[in-house]
Amino acid sequence: MQHSKRLAALTLSAAFMAPGLAAEAQELRVTVWTGSDAHLAMLNGIADGFEAENPGTTVTFETIPFSEYTRGLTLQLAGGNPPDVGWLLESDAPTFVSAGVLADIGPALRGDADYNYGDFAEPAMGLWVDGDAVYGVPFSTSPFMIFYNATAFEEAGLPTPVGLAEEGNWTWEALRSSAAALSDGANGFWGFEGKDGQGYDSRILHAMMPPIRAYGGDAWTDGQCGFTSSEAIAAMELYHAMIFDDGSVVPPGEIGDFFAGDAAMTINQISRVTRLADAGFEWGIAPLPTGPDGQADVIGQAALVVFEQGEHKDLATALIAHMTSAESVAIMAEFFPPARSSVLASDAFIQSNPAISPAQMAMVKDAIENGVVLPAHENYPQIFAAMSPRVDALWQADADVGAVMASVCEAIAGDL
Amino acid sequence: MEAWLFLSPTVIGFTIFFLGPLIAVFGYSLTEWNLLTQRATWVGLENYADALGQNPDFWPVLRNSLIFAVGLVPMNMALALGLALSLSRPAFGNVFFRVVFFAPVVTSAVAWAIVWKFLLQGEAGAVNQTLAVIGIDGPNWLREPDWAMFAVIFTRVIKMVGLNMILYIAALQSVPRDYEAAAVLEGASRLQIFRWIIWPLLAPTTLVIMVVTTIGSLKIFDHIFLMTRGGPENGTLVLAFYIYQQAFEFFNVGYAAALAVIMFVVILALTLLQVALRNRNAS
Repeated sequence: MQHSKRLAALTLSAAFMAPGLAAEAQELRVTVWTGSDAHLAMLNGIADGFEAENPGTTVTFETIPFSEYTRGLTLQLAGGNPPDVGWLLESDAPTFVSAGVLADIGPALRGDADYNYGDFAEPAMGLWVDGDAVYGVPFSTSPFMIFYNATAFEEAGLPTPVGLAEEGNWTWEALRSSAAALSDGANGFWGFEGKDGQGYDSRILHAMMPPIRAYGGDAWTDGQCGFTSSEAIAAMELYHAMIFDDGSVVPPGEIGDFFAGDAAMTINQISRVTRLADAGFEWGIAPLPTGPDGQADVIGQAALVVFEQGEHKDLATALIAHMTSAESVAIMAEFFPPARSSVLASDAFIQSNPAISPAQMAMVKDAIENGVVLPAHENYPQIFAAMSPRVDALWQADADVGAVMASVCEAIAGDL
Repeated sequence: MEAWLFLSPTVIGFTIFFLGPLIAVFGYSLTEWNLLTQRATWVGLENYADALGQNPDFWPVLRNSLIFAVGLVPMNMALALGLALSLSRPAFGNVFFRVVFFAPVVTSAVAWAIVWKFLLQGEAGAVNQTLAVIGIDGPNWLREPDWAMFAVIFTRVIKMVGLNMILYIAALQSVPRDYEAAAVLEGASRLQIFRWIIWPLLAPTTLVIMVVTTIGSLKIFDHIFLMTRGGPENGTLVLAFYIYQQAFEFFNVGYAAALAVIMFVVILALTLLQVALRNRNAS
């Protein structure tokens, strides 16, 4: 009831600021990168509530494939056909904020006491605020976890990652040992797979950051490249050895999908659990392994944003308020871990996904509370394009890891 | 007046969809235009100066485009001619084989690339497993810089060779049989007949095929985008893909337009050179 009142107030204020908006039929278009039926059903369910409380308003979700998302979105903006609301990835946040294409939705959100903007943890909002301005609200603050094939571990008689984590022995070295013991590359089964099989290409930072941060390094901080630190080099030497000495990681140029049962472990986020619904094996989720620097959780984040060019900015802001209300966030937590402290602390979150046990969800919660978001930068597209071909050299058996990391830093220094 | 009225649909379409954008690209190339912010400022020839004089990536990218063209055009033409010579005469099964070799031309580029990425996997790929049977340890085709360019050229050749094969078959079937019969009566060998009769008569077709294939190879984009995205280590980063990167990944539309103009000039120059060389040989 309180929720309804808040929505009514927001919509009323929107109508007040832009007379006639709420009275006429309005179509709000939201761009997303998910094509999952389960995700879209959940999003449409949340949007149904917004439509019911705003007669004449319809909300449509438009899927742009992840690999094309930023480009597709940019072309819509450039073509004068912006969506009203869009998902935006953490790596794109600084670029879009500095370009001035996102609307400041801070006043509307802060002005609504029921919305409780302060419920969002400050670190979680870091990428999306600039001074007092708020350019996005995270709908997913999803830590990277280790997904493992419990059947493979059981058949090999190995302790599971969760078991090792409970003993305090779940380290990158332990992951390496388990991966090597489980790997049978000749028969198309590997110990470990990079995120979504794209760890050598579009998701190199997803592959590199978990070990690098566990070893105490980082990609860049305060304009300084961190890939040449001894910690970063040691981490990547371990990963390189797993690929080429142990043969335990799905190698570059090969296709081996964890979800199809071709790998014993992978790094991923809980939104991918939907892909395990029909897995022909038992599976589990464990925290990222620790390194010399202890536990270093890495978070991928995505937010809902309103575009400055949009025709229905006030109504779009109201939609974001609806989709990131405590009630909606609790629903979305099934797939997209929340940045709202109250939802994160609730039992409802721990039990939000029937496919994930409360104990596993508690690990996700810990990782959110202690994790650091993936690296982002205003010049991220240029940085990624500059580092990508240099990192390619790392995926060769005879690579000199230190030299490759030095070439990466040299290539991106100008853009940092 | 009536003539202009009849011509107007074509002229209007040509102006709006071809001439206008072409002129616009020249205009854009003189600006620093950010696709995301939609802010454009006049910079004159600065984009050209940067590309040709300061950008360390430009010349390697242009070199990759030329390597792709030099690798693809002769291989494509030689294979197309060989197939056409084999399949131009009526014989049992020729129609079937023509269909087989032409089928990749009409196959989806996406499906083609995905299938070849599977086939060219490092160890699990069918190509390397086949090579292993005869004792050859194949490379990781799409992940090793020295081999990736060869792999994309080869897969592109066998995708598109059917088109040139059909053009050559049509040309071969228009060669008068009398010439060949007369040469046989004079005691000419098959090689001599090809060298002195068929090859010269195929010259106009060869020129068209060479020009069209060269232009297509210098503009190659989809195949690179789908198979390597310019990698590994920028080893297959060609000009068309680089233009795409600048425009749609870095949002530098003005700079991308300048690169597109440079690509246009390079293609125009090479085409004119081919025509001039052909005319000199013909005369």
